[in-house]
Amino acid sequence: MPISVRPLHDLFVGEVSGVDLTQPLAREDVEAIENAIAKHAILVFRDQRVTDEQQLTFSRYFGELEETRGTGISKPGEQRLHPAFADVSNLDKDNTILARDNRRRLYSLGNQIWHSDSSFKPIPAAYSLLSGRVVVDQGGETEFADMRAAYDTLDDETKAETGDLICEHSLIYSRELLGFDDLTDAERATMRPVRQILTRTHPLSGRKSIYLASHIGKIIGWPVPEARAYIRDLTEHATQRQFVYTHLWRPFDLVMWDNRCTMHRVRRFDASLVRDMRRTTVAGTAPTVAQEAIAAE
Amino acid sequence: MNIRAVQNGFVGEVTGIDICKPLTSGEVAGIELGMDQYAVLTFPDQPLTDEQQVTFTANFGELEITLAGQMAKPEERRFQQLELGDISNYNGADTTRLRARDDKRRMYALANRLWHSDASFRAIGAGYTLLHARILPRKADTQFADMRAAYDALSPMEKAEVEDIVCEHSIVFSREQIGFGDYNAGHEEHLKPVPHRLVITHPKTGRKSLYLSSHIGGIVGWPVPEARAFIRDLTEHATQPQFVYSHVWRVGDMVMWDNRTVMHRATRFDDLKEVRDLRRTSIKGVGLEVKHAMAAE
Repeated sequence: MPISVRPLHDLFVGEVSGVDLTQPLAREDVEAIENAIAKHAILVFRDQRVTDEQQLTFSRYFGELEETRGTGISKPGEQRLHPAFADVSNLDKDNTILARDNRRRLYSLGNQIWHSDSSFKPIPAAYSLLSGRVVVDQGGETEFADMRAAYDTLDDETKAETGDLICEHSLIYSRELLGFDDLTDAERATMRPVRQILTRTHPLSGRKSIYLASHIGKIIGWPVPEARAYIRDLTEHATQRQFVYTHLWRPFDLVMWDNRCTMHRVRRFDASLVRDMRRTTVAGTAPTVAQEAIAAE
Repeated sequence: MNIRAVQNGFVGEVTGIDICKPLTSGEVAGIELGMDQYAVLTFPDQPLTDEQQVTFTANFGELEITLAGQMAKPEERRFQQLELGDISNYNGADTTRLRARDDKRRMYALANRLWHSDASFRAIGAGYTLLHARILPRKADTQFADMRAAYDALSPMEKAEVEDIVCEHSIVFSREQIGFGDYNAGHEEHLKPVPHRLVITHPKTGRKSLYLSSHIGGIVGWPVPEARAFIRDLTEHATQPQFVYSHVWRVGDMVMWDNRTVMHRATRFDDLKEVRDLRRTSIKGVGLEVKHAMAAE
């Protein structure tokens, strides 16, 4: 059965059928998926009972994978999953639910704010692939916002204004938004801010988008409060309901999104319930702006 | 005196009254009734002087002094009368110049672009605020959100969840959100968090509303990041377009709102080039003391 894609939203998001992600894929299937995601930005694959190995194999068809080690706050030996996974669960390595005041839990609450994965890396992520192994049925939805539509609907003045802006992104900034500052010096050192352009053009679709994320803390050349107020306004514009798709998770959904042209966030859920989500991340291939500038400062 | 509904049950436009002149007790009662019925009243074409604004305001209770004025050095202030709030972008008393891009007062005032309730950082927050437009830029709307409608629209489960929550408010928290923390020395007392219940009941109408504000930085008994994520979500709910009125200013407009039932925010304009000069007066809140005492226990 050939791969087919059914739109789930007026602007973006396609549900893909006719493919079994537990099996090796033919070259034409991979190309079909690449073309589909260039168009839809988000792809939903239902009933994909992948193992971790199978998720890694599928993800690697689209490029090199990011290693999560050294970016977050998990220490070696504390991790539940292979280092190419971001553990987006609320479980520790013994599969016990994290306590309410657990540091990793409080840190991960930052995922409830609109963001783009790994925008805090010099070469930011291309795709993320999130597999829902144990899902919750109240809350815990993942929302996605189309940053191409958000760009298209800016007025001409704002398009011109955002065109040349460069932002600083860091995990420190997104955690600060929720008052989380319980970071070691070593962690802060790995979270040193990087620069990203604010308007980017997608390499495959050629469409422009606004590259926003909760990780933004500064705009180069702007006073900090002015930058933050401006980014808040832009984010509010970019996440209006008409640009948003809400994904209600079913067990073994796999959702693949393009971080270059979408933002996402998780909605609140009952912290006493297990939610086991496993993310693999396909690295981008180029920085959005030269990073030497920062090193030179 | 006539009140015409501008936005159903929320905003009324008052005509047929000259508020530059002393009011009769009947007129004062009529306005108070209007404030209870709506929550925002607009009075177009009222060319008030500062003295007249103070006199008009005093009809409704005891005037409050502004925190910005209180914490500023005398030479940084435009008006020495602390009951008169300078909502302008002038360089203090020097009205031949606008504040520079990195002026500390400008940085502080940028936080007015976050949804807030005036003086919620005080043990008793403001009752009414009155804002009068003298000089206006091309566009700089003030937006208002109806916290009664926002409360009413919560589900029964959500209402139960918020019912007994006590929040901590401080001017520090709202400024922190945009990366500002540069206060003059000697004001530590003004920066300390104060507790307020999240659900308050209006002393006259008996209607419940959400007492939200950008000044909230914590919830008593909750981990800080969880509290902030929760308040962010609730604020997003409470400021959806159906609860919001945008006031398009005209010179001579007086707008009056009840901070116990309304949040508001300023919107961006080209404040380095265009003058925006408004005067603010406000009334100390009354009728909530008992609830506050309970919250403080």
